[in-house]
Amino acid sequence: MWAARRMASTMSASSAALTFELVAKCSTTRARASILTLPHGPVNLPIFMPVATQASLKGITPEQLENTRCRLCLNNTYHLGLKPGQEVMDAVGGAHKLQGWDHNILTDSGGFQMVSLLKLATITEEGVRFLSPHDGTPMLLTPEHSISLQNSIGSDIIMQLDDVLVTTSPDIVRMREAMERSVRWLDRCIAAHKHPDRQNLFCIIQGGLDLDMRRECCREMVARDTPGIAIGGLSGGEAKDDFCRVVAACTEQLPDLKPRYVMGIGYPEDLVVSVALGADMFDCVWPTRTARFGNAITRNGVLNLKREMYATDFGPLEDDCGCPCCRPVEQEGAMGITRAFVHHNAAKETVAAHLLTIHNVWYQLNLMREARDAIIADRYPAFVREFFSRLYPDGHGFPSWAIDALRGVGIDLLET
Amino acid sequence: MTGDGKQNPQPQAAAATAMTFEVLKAAIRDAPTAARLGRLAIAARRTVDTPNYFAITSRGVVPHVTPDNLAKHLSDVGGTYMALEDFIERPQQYLKRPAPILQTPSSEFPCSPALGPRPPLHIFTAMPPSVITVLAARRLPAVPAPMGNTNSSVSVFTSTGFQVLTTREYADAVSALRPDIAVPMADLTDKALTPTSKRATRMAERTDDWVKEWFAQLDASNSSDHPGVATFAPVLPVGFPMQWEYLERLSEDYVSASTTNQEEEEGETTRKDHLAGLALYDADVIPDLEDAYPNLTPLPRLSLANPTTPHHVLRQIALGVDVFALPFINMVSDAGVALTFTFPPPPPPNSDPSVSRPPILPLGIDMSSPTAGLATDTGPLLAGCACYACARHHRAYVHHLLAAREMLGWTLLQAHNHGVASAFFAGVRAALRAGPAAYDAACRAFAAAYEPEFPAGTGERPRARGYQYAGGAGEPKRNKPAWGKLGGPEDDDVAAVEQKKPRGGKTKNSNGAIGTGNAGADIVDDSLAAAVEAVDLQEAGASPAAEMDGTASAQASI
Repeated sequence: MWAARRMASTMSASSAALTFELVAKCSTTRARASILTLPHGPVNLPIFMPVATQASLKGITPEQLENTRCRLCLNNTYHLGLKPGQEVMDAVGGAHKLQGWDHNILTDSGGFQMVSLLKLATITEEGVRFLSPHDGTPMLLTPEHSISLQNSIGSDIIMQLDDVLVTTSPDIVRMREAMERSVRWLDRCIAAHKHPDRQNLFCIIQGGLDLDMRRECCREMVARDTPGIAIGGLSGGEAKDDFCRVVAACTEQLPDLKPRYVMGIGYPEDLVVSVALGADMFDCVWPTRTARFGNAITRNGVLNLKREMYATDFGPLEDDCGCPCCRPVEQEGAMGITRAFVHHNAAKETVAAHLLTIHNVWYQLNLMREARDAIIADRYPAFVREFFSRLYPDGHGFPSWAIDALRGVGIDLLET
Repeated sequence: MTGDGKQNPQPQAAAATAMTFEVLKAAIRDAPTAARLGRLAIAARRTVDTPNYFAITSRGVVPHVTPDNLAKHLSDVGGTYMALEDFIERPQQYLKRPAPILQTPSSEFPCSPALGPRPPLHIFTAMPPSVITVLAARRLPAVPAPMGNTNSSVSVFTSTGFQVLTTREYADAVSALRPDIAVPMADLTDKALTPTSKRATRMAERTDDWVKEWFAQLDASNSSDHPGVATFAPVLPVGFPMQWEYLERLSEDYVSASTTNQEEEEGETTRKDHLAGLALYDADVIPDLEDAYPNLTPLPRLSLANPTTPHHVLRQIALGVDVFALPFINMVSDAGVALTFTFPPPPPPNSDPSVSRPPILPLGIDMSSPTAGLATDTGPLLAGCACYACARHHRAYVHHLLAAREMLGWTLLQAHNHGVASAFFAGVRAALRAGPAAYDAACRAFAAAYEPEFPAGTGERPRARGYQYAGGAGEPKRNKPAWGKLGGPEDDDVAAVEQKKPRGGKTKNSNGAIGTGNAGADIVDDSLAAAVEAVDLQEAGASPAAEMDGTASAQASI
């Protein structure tokens, strides 16, 4: 409690286009609550950022996204670079104008897609070489080009181009090369960045699962004093134990007064644990993609609404959920959607996917809101225990990676 | 339409069906048009000024439009047309189960006094309380069934295939679901060909029997105290001489002799066993009806005759149709076309009479067109349009969404196209208020100003579903395959997906399939991005997925 109160005197730091204000720190774990003020308004951290890949959050309108109380979402540079393309982006006046979204946008660098989506991408010191998915002509994505694209997009947070490698790669030499190259590319990105006054460039810490390499990368990146810091290269199939170790090793090294973004994280358990490890920002396509597969995220786990058992379940997607789908129709802006209705239309009408998308995004954002409230009240450990006990109501079966990671920051999940 | 949703509370005694239809401005005899102005009011629903239209639903939803958007941004849509065949499929494993929709509880859900009681059909489909529901047996347009109808059943097409729906089952479902308006089953062929006279006679005889049965059964089941259902009797798509006996029965047995005096007879006309309206599968019967059975004239006429363009709509309005179920709006949206017509049409830009003729305007624009300069056009879809899509977004965004096959593109087109249709009917009503001569002039100007057909949409459409189309033998596939074979391990995924079913509560996400070929292929094949159930590897690559326990299995859901 003392620690929380001490934080209440607020510590903040500003860079040209961002203010980070630390509101509270958990007295047990490394969890933090903060306010990140970006060019399109403030957002409360910790935060989950839904992914509107191609300037659209999978079927829902920007207004519906706004109604989930989302104020910061992702766009993907790679996709927007292909469609509608940089020329159109410049002519329209950026991604905010294109999609009618007056709140904040974060864009990735496009580097991840280069290696994840493209078969023949080769990475050289100059950049990423790949074959155009349109006509097969050779193309090159350099740090300069990535930043130029993101400048055209006009996103509030832009990411450096990094040399992404599967974390599970056993090639330690290549891993070191990737880490060091990412640092060099950051320098090129900083030099190429045309709008540091209105777009915040975040660095991305690489180094695979090697904690020493990660720490070294942290030192190099922090020295370059970007407005925010991302931990990258994770969620590529590594064990969750390793993931937690890397996040913990990085947050330990990072300055207090900068936002920390762990890229590609989206399962509720991962969010709750990562917050305890000191991370602030997360993004993932899972909540919205799983919605299109007919799955609703709830406090008690994920429900596959295509299962026959939901055909005559006339309750809301989740009891006491505050999302526009679940609240009863009598309330303002609410729809009173039942599980039976979603079952009826799952994989048959796009509307079922839209409804679950709204619910799932709401769930993820609300989870982070509740986490934040718990941090401010300095009861985050209790929040974490409650969260896991709802997911595992019989009191056992907690994932061992979560037990271990939380034990490292002072929470014993098994304590009764 | 009076959009404020307020209406006078109906007196308790008259609440049996609680529907009233008032002809505000009747057709004038020997005028060039039989068009009329009216007002359809149903207790607890928004009043609908006519001529107007109801939106067609698929499986209980206006395609691509969530109920909140329907209530908020398509607020001029006063009613929706639903088909029972969209709700009664029998999955192979659960052949015996009763349709889930028929188990919708109504008592468990508190009925707020402000909104009135919510019928099970509204509850199940989350239909906004202000919107009128129309229930019929079959979709509009219906997929023709390979096997015909019988003396007591019709063939319907569900998402699990064709099945038989008996008149009894249908009437039971209507009693259980309590739509605001129900169309009794009609013996239809659902084919473009005119039925032979023998078939036409049988259609009329069967429909006549079924309607008799309908009223007998509704009467029995409506003895309880919940509000009844307004019955709109089907008028068949056959000539008047083929069905006059049936229509005569409607006129003699189910309509009070003197319904013309609305004030006095309101309680009478809304009696539950009485005919509340006509559902016309062909509008051309109206003139004969008017002549032969004037006591049917005060009834609202709902056209299920599928007018394919606004020109056809105007023709049917001129015959005396009050409300339309309009399939073309959803179809045009799926084709990626934004409607651009208004009623009356805009005045020709050049009033100089020496210029022979102004250019003929298109009824819509193909928003996928790569050549029309849409990509950077930040103007509204249609200048002066008040719809949600035009107010909040622009052509460049819709064009981008269609090019990227993002589902929001179709949502915005639906908001726009329904907005254009609503404005069109508002224009028609305004012109009718101005008098038959002014209306006739506006109709003529409309016919001269606009092209006869919608432009073809060149964009890729949303995935077609089995319940929308029954494929014939040797027909090409309607949906582009989401995957192609590139060789390599992903072929196993394709096979797995074809066999379907990742079952179970918690699913694993595919995480971008790093280095495998299918991801690379799928960015080329954009068809995949919007298919609801397709594996969306574009997005998979969009950011590292959260999966950490190893397997990166591409997955689909069906």
